[in-house]
Order: sequence, then structure tokens, then C-alpha cells
Amino acid sequence: MTTPDAIFTPLRFRRLTVKNRIFRSSISGRFDNEDGSLTQTRINWESRFAKGGAGAIISSYVPVRMDGRIIAGYATIHRDDFIPLWAMVGRAAHSFDCRFIMQLSHSGRQMDLPGVHNQHRVPPAPTSRAEPLHGFLCRAMGKGEIAHLVQDFAKAAWRAREAGLDGVELHSANGYLFTQFLSSAINDRTDCYGGSLFNRARFLLEVIEAIRAKVGRDFHLQVKLGGVDLNDYLIPWEGRGNSLADAIEIARWCEAMGADAIHVSTGSSFPHPLNPPGDLPVDVLATTYDAMVSAGLHGFRNLAVFRSPIMRPVFRWLWKRVARDRPVEGVGLDEARAIKAAVGIPVISTGGYQTASFVREAITSGGCDGVAIARALIANPDLPNIWQAGRDLPERPCTHCNKCLVSAPKNPLGCYEEARFPSREAMLEAITAIYRARPTLRVPDAAEV
Amino acid sequence: MPAPVTAVEAARASRRWLSVPLTLFLALALVLGVFVIVVGAVLAWRYSGESTPHYADDRRHFRYGSIGAERKSGIPYALWRELPALFPEVFAPALARGDGAYAAFGFVYERDARGQPFDLPIGISRRNVQGVELVWFNCAVCHAGTWRTEADGPRHIVDGMPSNNLDLHGFVAFLLGNAADERMRPETLLRRIEESQGRFGFFERLIWRFYVLPTVRNELLVRSVRMQPLLAAQPAWGPGRVDTFNPYKVIQFAIPFATLTGDERIGTSDFPSIFNQRPREGMQLHWDGNNTSLQERNLSAAVGAGLELTSATPADRAAIRRVADWLLDLRPPPSPLAPLQNAAAVARGRDLYVRDCAACHGHPSGDGYVFEGRYLGRVLAIGEIGTDRARLDSYTESFRQRQREVLGFTEFRKTDGYANQPLDALWLRGPYLHNGAVPTLADLLEPPAARPQKFLRGLDVLDEARGGFRSPPCEPGAPAVHGTICFDTRLPGNGNGGHLYGTALSTPDKADLLAFLKTF
Repeated sequence: MTTPDAIFTPLRFRRLTVKNRIFRSSISGRFDNEDGSLTQTRINWESRFAKGGAGAIISSYVPVRMDGRIIAGYATIHRDDFIPLWAMVGRAAHSFDCRFIMQLSHSGRQMDLPGVHNQHRVPPAPTSRAEPLHGFLCRAMGKGEIAHLVQDFAKAAWRAREAGLDGVELHSANGYLFTQFLSSAINDRTDCYGGSLFNRARFLLEVIEAIRAKVGRDFHLQVKLGGVDLNDYLIPWEGRGNSLADAIEIARWCEAMGADAIHVSTGSSFPHPLNPPGDLPVDVLATTYDAMVSAGLHGFRNLAVFRSPIMRPVFRWLWKRVARDRPVEGVGLDEARAIKAAVGIPVISTGGYQTASFVREAITSGGCDGVAIARALIANPDLPNIWQAGRDLPERPCTHCNKCLVSAPKNPLGCYEEARFPSREAMLEAITAIYRARPTLRVPDAAEV
Repeated sequence: MPAPVTAVEAARASRRWLSVPLTLFLALALVLGVFVIVVGAVLAWRYSGESTPHYADDRRHFRYGSIGAERKSGIPYALWRELPALFPEVFAPALARGDGAYAAFGFVYERDARGQPFDLPIGISRRNVQGVELVWFNCAVCHAGTWRTEADGPRHIVDGMPSNNLDLHGFVAFLLGNAADERMRPETLLRRIEESQGRFGFFERLIWRFYVLPTVRNELLVRSVRMQPLLAAQPAWGPGRVDTFNPYKVIQFAIPFATLTGDERIGTSDFPSIFNQRPREGMQLHWDGNNTSLQERNLSAAVGAGLELTSATPADRAAIRRVADWLLDLRPPPSPLAPLQNAAAVARGRDLYVRDCAACHGHPSGDGYVFEGRYLGRVLAIGEIGTDRARLDSYTESFRQRQREVLGFTEFRKTDGYANQPLDALWLRGPYLHNGAVPTLADLLEPPAARPQKFLRGLDVLDEARGGFRSPPCEPGAPAVHGTICFDTRLPGNGNGGHLYGTALSTPDKADLLAFLKTF
């Protein structure tokens, strides 16, 4: 009798079972409408990975309110009438025997492209200190606003459940609103939401509590946490932020409040040298960052740095110094392992996974229960099937060049590593393949326009 | 005012009270910074490095080529040009004569085809040092003189003969004595220079006003403080004479005058002729024979001219070497007095010379001078020669040690007398003896008591009868012809005693010997 492959052994959460241990991590392009409604392209995008064999898809960042978008053009879940749209996404995933978990999010101050809905207003956050790299503005919320926002998360979770989705994930990593509350380097509040670790975690725990109150105990709820902040990665005088010990403590509290799983990432911002790990193509960034120039106080300065042949190496050196001693594949596995050892619920790890044997070892050694993958799946959406076919690596693996990352604010999301394709035309064909399945167009009713 | 388009723009607008001035300040600082860098680079280029004219002809190099003395000792060319206008009481007489301004101190000017004096006299070279054109001495300043047969006759310039016209004492005393004069204040100088020589550019004016002219004046004042006690203690050198080592001590070595012993304070002697250097190698050179190395003697002379040896460049040394090489075989012109002498007298005189003089001085022959003689180029003890010992005493053992320590000279020796000199170009070397205390050759054949006690020196008219240059009697203090001084042999260092050789000859023998001596 052969031992079942750990990767393809179903992962059983408290109220959800996923057919294997592969999660498509939250990633998206600007596929959706300006009003937050999703499009056929979104459905196509998510289906591509469901078809490829992923056990579950964690949706891209889905704002619970319009003032929490990181990038205009990402679908939201702030309106009830969007429920059928998301239901369609869920059905599409289910058609490939893939679960769909909606990642509920709010940008706080980390708002990359405000769009027409947000450009005129300053986003709410726990602090009024602008984000240091881009100079994104923010304003500290009052307690009333926080309470209101807690309920917005709960309503969003309810909409996800109503849409027939398989669960929700709270995006409390990578510098977004939850991180801004959690991180000692960012949260400068002096009320009950600031100061001690528990106070800083209060908002997250209140959201979990509110969701449970709204959707009950049967709906899957997982929390994405940063293992470490390393908030001083670029600007030395910024605080270092939360440690692994802080993350472990927060994970325990989440479990106690009713979370069904912990998804472990790294870094107090997005992007961060540890997330996504790999190279930073500043030359590409120099051609795409212009889309973000007006979004923050320091946009023009940053573009000048990225475009300067003299400053580029300096920036690259600063950027890469934190990740110098870390591997690309499994960059956050140590943190995941530590958290898994501290909690009784499954732990998902993300960070550069692409090699079957490595993932298998990570799972069987108790480092995590599953892995969440984004870039390697963009490069090879059928990576799970490739693994299942017995290959350790795909024929043309992801190079972790991060060209997909830095292209996202301006161009369609996809793999931009031309060396992986026989031609540039082939690369563009792969990128635009998600537009193939088109919605049925019709003449609108008079009331609709 | 329209509402800001975005929240970021609104935030930027609310910070403009700070960001606009800050941006303007930074922009201004950037512009100023770039301006300063550009101007600094231009000025650094303009005021860095050195250059000096190069002369293809060896003779012109000797007369006008730089040996590097300007770098440490020079004065700006613009100041050199301006001084005559600033001090008309000193320079006007020379200008009135149609001569170059510095002929006031006996500097010799060549003249162009129109008869106009050259811009700079012989012995003055130019060098651009860090953007400032400087002038100062080269070898020719002390070793190029003139002769003529009549007072109103044409002057003949001879390279290598003593600078019989040059009143170096007068020039130095003028330059240093007037350093404190109001006319030498930087602002006055700048205004006068700009009025007569054209306006400086903005930065150049600043540099001249606040660096060049103050530095020059300060340096002159420093030298004045060091030199004035020495000059005051010494009788005026007069034309054709210099104190070789004492200025060297107080200027180059900054030895306080007060620490000099009484015996060493006067070392004034004639400029030597410098023909035929090759056969002199190995002889005891200088009047007191204190060095046997031509190369070291030459470097020491360059130091005396103002070169700072410790900062001398290879180019400086090459320029000195070029002069030295040219001098190795430089022949003096034949004596114009020779054809005028009675051949029989000359023949008799030659016999007398060979008998009594040649062992110490060598002798002329038909095709040049024979540098042979048992005692030629060797020091004769002061007790034997008996000439004025001031020059001998001015070179001291302690000074020799300083030369060795500071300049690395190893061939200098303290001697106890004066060296027997070859007498090539004797006709151009009057007055005679090391200190020029005996006006003519005829006088040198007389015992000291019969030698002229006071005579005019500085004329370049040949004395056809007595040999040397005309040196009429004079009275100290009485008005003298320009460029001359009434030389008083009673003053310290001016003694005309000693060298009694030939004084005991009969009158006919003296006449014969004199006739011979005038032929070379």
C-alpha cells in the first residue's frame, strides 16, 4: 500500500474540506468594473486556476467598502446586489471541484490606486501618519467609525456566505488595514485600539467576533497574518514592528475567537522584500510606477528614483538587503511552522512555493498544512496537475522575477517573463487569454443607463 | 481658487506654506550648488597648474626662460608693470631716457627693431602659477652685462659676464622698502592696475583683491622685515655686486638677522662671470672656493635667485640644466682692447704673466683660455692673499650645515681663503678682486695704498688705458651719474687690500703686463 501524497491529501478544516493542499493565493489584476462589480474576466481568471487543479482559491483582495480599495478595478463586496455576481464566481470554481474563499479586505492607508471613488478623500486607518514609501495619506478613525467598519466586515462575510462561497479570509497581513492596527510600527493610537498587543489586535478580534455573530459558526473563516513585520526594511528609522512572538500570540487569540485557519505571510507592507520574494525589476517598475505617481505624496520622487540609473542600484540594494539571507521558496515557512506549533487549527503558508518535493516536505514535516501560491500559478496555472502527474517542477517554472507584480498597476496581470515563452506574441496571448470567454452582451433597459 | 482634484492634491496644497518655500530653497540651493560647482571647476581650471614660455634658442632661454624662481619669490606681472607708474620718482628718469623702466636699477633691456626696449629686461622670466602671471629672476639677471667704448656709444650685451649694471641692492631695497607704502595697498593696486591694464572679470577681481595682492604684499612685508636689518647693516652693494649668502640666510632659511655674528653680516662681492664652465668642473668654485661641484653650485645659485628647491619640479631642474649645459662651452667675446695694444709690450707682458700669474690663474692662448696652473681653482689662504675677508667670513660652518639639512647639499665646505680664479674675459670683469674694490687692472698692479680709495662704479664704458671699466674718482654723497655709486673702499667689506702680486714690478713691466692683461 502506497502512502498517499501529502499534497493531494484533502485538508479538512472545521467546516470545510479542500481536495488538496494547494490554495491559489490572493492575486488579481484590474479585471473588474469601476463600481466594484465583477466581470466575466474575473470569472475567467479564477476559473483558470480552478481548472489547473488548485484545491481552493482565495480570492484576490476584496474590499468590504469602497473606501478600502487598494486598486480601483478590483471587484468589491460592499453591496448586496453583487452577491449574484460572486455566486457566479463560486459556481465557476465549484465546477472544477475547487473551493472558493473570499478574502475580505480594507486598504486602510495602503491604497495604491484610489480611483474616482476615493481620490477626493483620505482613507480611514488607525493612524494619521502617511505611509512612508509612497506617501499615501490616511486619517485615524474614531471608535464609532471602527465599530461601523467592524459591521461592514460582518456584512461582507454574510454576502459571501449568501453567494454560496466556501468561506472568508480576513486579510490581516501585508500592510493593509488589519496590519495597520496590529503593527507596533504603524499603530500610534492611544485608545483601546493602540498600545499593547491585545489592544492592537482588538479590531481584528472584534471583526472575527462580529462575523461569527453574523454568519454563525458553520461558515469557514480564516485569518491571514504576517509572521514578522520587518517594517524598517527600506527606511531605517521606521519602527521594526511586530515579531514572530507577537504573531503567535495573535494567532492564538484568533483561534480562540473562532478562526478556522491561519494563513501565514510576511512583511508589514505590500510589496515587501519578503513578499513576494525574489527579484525586484526596477527597470520595469520605472515604466509602470507612473500609474501611481499621483496617489501619494512621494510618487514623483519615487518615479525619479526608479528612472535614475544612479539611484536604481541604491534602491535595489536597500530593497534586497532584508531578504539577503532568506530563500525564495518557503520564505515564510519558519514563521508558519512556529505558528502551527502554537495553534490547533490548520496553517497555510505562502511564499515562493513551486517545487512539489519542497511543498511535500513542508507539509509532512509539520511546517504547514497547505500552501498558498500566486506567481507560480500565474506562470503555470496547471501546476497542481503537473505535480499530480509526478513532476517536481513545471517545464518552464516561474522565475520569481516579479515582473507580474510591478506590471499590475498599469497592465493586465500575467506573466511578463518573456524568456518563458517562445515569443512575445505567445506571452501576450497567455496574458490576454482570460478575455476569451466573454459575457453575452445585450441592449440595456432604459433604467439601466 | 478651484477645489483640489484629489485628496493627495489637497494635502499637498495644505502643505504648500512649507513645501513651496522648501522647494524654492532646495531649487535655489541646487542652482547655487550647480553654479558653485561650475564656477568652482572653471576657477579651479583657471587657477591651477603652471605654464611658462619655452624658448627654442638657448641664449633666449638663458635670458628669459624660467628656472622656477617665480613660484616662491615672484611678483605678479601686472604689479611689475604697474610699479613704474606708482613710483614715478624712482622710474621716471629711466623712462625719460627712453630706456625700460627697470633700467632704473640697472636691468638691461634688449631693443626691438624700432629701438623700443623689450617688455621685460634680461634676467626676468614669466611663469603662470595657478592662474597668476608672475615674474622673477633667472640666471641671466646676475650674469649678463654690457660694455661700450664711448659713453654715448652703442651698448653691447654679453651673456655670461657679470651684470655690471645691476643694482640688485637698490631693487630689493625699493621693493621691500615700499611694501608698506600706501600705494601698495591691495585696493589701490587693484584700481591702478585696472585703470592702466584693463578691468578684471568679476571673479578675477575678487581673487586679486582678496588673495593675490594681499598675499603678495604680505610676502613682501615679511621679506622686508627679514631683510631690512641686513640691508641697513651693509654698505650699499652698488651695481654689479651682491651678497650671496646673507639674504639666503634670512629669506630662504628665515634665520633672524640678530643671530648672525658680526663677522658674517657683510658678504658683498662682485657677480662672477660664468663663461667656460666645463673646464671649471672640479675647481673650488665661488669666490671662497666653497664648492667643487658645478651641479650643486648651479642649484645653489638658483636658490639664490629665488627658487624653492624643495618644491622644484623636474621641469625646473631641466631648465637649470639646460642653462648649465649651454654655459659649459660658452666663450667670451674677444677683447676689443687687444688690437689696440703694442704687440711687443704684449709679448713681454705675456712672459711676465706666465712667470708670475699663470700658476694661479691659467693663461690665454691663441684659440682660447688654458685652464691649467698649479694653483688654479684652488683656495689660497686668507693670510696669503690678504684681500678683504668679509665675503670669506659670511659663509659659515653653521650655514653649511643648514644647506645640507634643508637643501641636501653635500659638496659645500668652509674654506679659509679665496680661490684662484681663471681670468677668461678679464676685460669684462672689472672692477677687480672678489669684492670689486679695485677699479682697473692698472690699479690692481699698484700697492693698496696707491689704489683708488673712492671711485665711481657702474659705468660700462671700457677704460682703454687702465683695463676694465672707467671708474673716475668721486666723493660719497655727491650726486652721481645714474646707475653708478661712489664706491668707498673704507667701508666694511669694501677693502681694497691684498693681492699684492705684481705690485712690485717696475713701471715698464707693469705697463707690459697691463698691455697683455687687456688682450683677454
